[in-house]
Amino acid sequence: MSRSDVLVDADWVEAHGEDPGVVLVEVDEDTSAYDTGHIQGAVKIDWKKDLQDPVRRDFVDRAGFEALLSERGISNDDTVILYGGNNNWFAAYAYWYFRLYGHQDVKLLDGGRKRWELDSRKLVTEVPQRPGTSYTAREQDSSIRAFRDEVVAAIGQQNLVDVRSPDEFAGRLLAPAHLPQEQAQRGGHIPTARNIPWSKAAEEDGTFKSDDALRALYGDAGVDFGTDTIAYCRIGERSAHTWFVLHELLGQPNVKNYDGSWTEYGSLVGVPIEIGDGA
Amino acid sequence: MSDDGCGAPRGGVTVSEAGSQAVVQGRVTQNGTAVPVGYARLLNSDGEFVAEVPLGEDGGFRFFAAPGNWTLRVLAPGDLRAERAVVASTGKVAEIDVAV
Repeated sequence: MSRSDVLVDADWVEAHGEDPGVVLVEVDEDTSAYDTGHIQGAVKIDWKKDLQDPVRRDFVDRAGFEALLSERGISNDDTVILYGGNNNWFAAYAYWYFRLYGHQDVKLLDGGRKRWELDSRKLVTEVPQRPGTSYTAREQDSSIRAFRDEVVAAIGQQNLVDVRSPDEFAGRLLAPAHLPQEQAQRGGHIPTARNIPWSKAAEEDGTFKSDDALRALYGDAGVDFGTDTIAYCRIGERSAHTWFVLHELLGQPNVKNYDGSWTEYGSLVGVPIEIGDGA
Repeated sequence: MSDDGCGAPRGGVTVSEAGSQAVVQGRVTQNGTAVPVGYARLLNSDGEFVAEVPLGEDGGFRFFAAPGNWTLRVLAPGDLRAERAVVASTGKVAEIDVAV
């Protein structure tokens, strides 16, 4: 797998975004941005309403994913181009999710909505009408999703990459600083985790850094590329961004995203927690 | 809110008062007019990125920081940039307006 298999740039989207067999999808938690303007031809996926189970803390199941993609007019053999706000966090989460359910051809728009806006590229409000399909998903690929017990077992054994900001890692903040800091769970990080914020993998305009720069970033921070890796954050979207970097851009095998992340781990009874800035 | 994502709404989350939060907020303008498309980034005292929000329609942004010294950086189309130092304190709203 190489960068061109998993990333497209804005020029490519302007040239090919409406080609047959290509579907642009804007993904975000707050979809009001889509409603005020999106890339021509893009459909929307609402991270919370469309991708999360409304009752349990989990994703929509396989049947739910099939129903969602069928309703949005996405076929199994379509090339799906995902993009969104928040530096592509939710688009990266959706990418991981498409991979989890076995979609073959899915890519991210490098820089997402941010780079597109900073370049003053065209946005439209017209919502495309795509005919429904009959999408078939596979069973979840458990090789890219970590659950809590394997995270606890990975302490001191695997690379644990905490991609939150240094202040969240240390326990001084409980959420990103654009959110109110009122949380039930404890602050801190999983012992032996390395703090490599997701933002270090991205340029200021939201595009990904070069492969060489990324490899140096994780290597210098103590990630052993010969060992399995689990990435986590607070809720699993920022770590999906880092999972994308490690697994898709750098081609590392055995990288999992722990979507339970700190909101689960920091609420568990009896597990070890470290506070402070770490080694 | 633990089941919600970490997304940053345009302009930042709305609050009526700081309460126990250390709020940093303000507006971005160009020649006195609000800049509705752009991004506000909060950096910590080491210059490390901490958070970012897309500007609101009124050019507004809001962060919930920890007490201490922070740097606010603004990016807007046309390579417009600006940077300001800001001090956050618990229970207070630090207002910082930025012209680009």
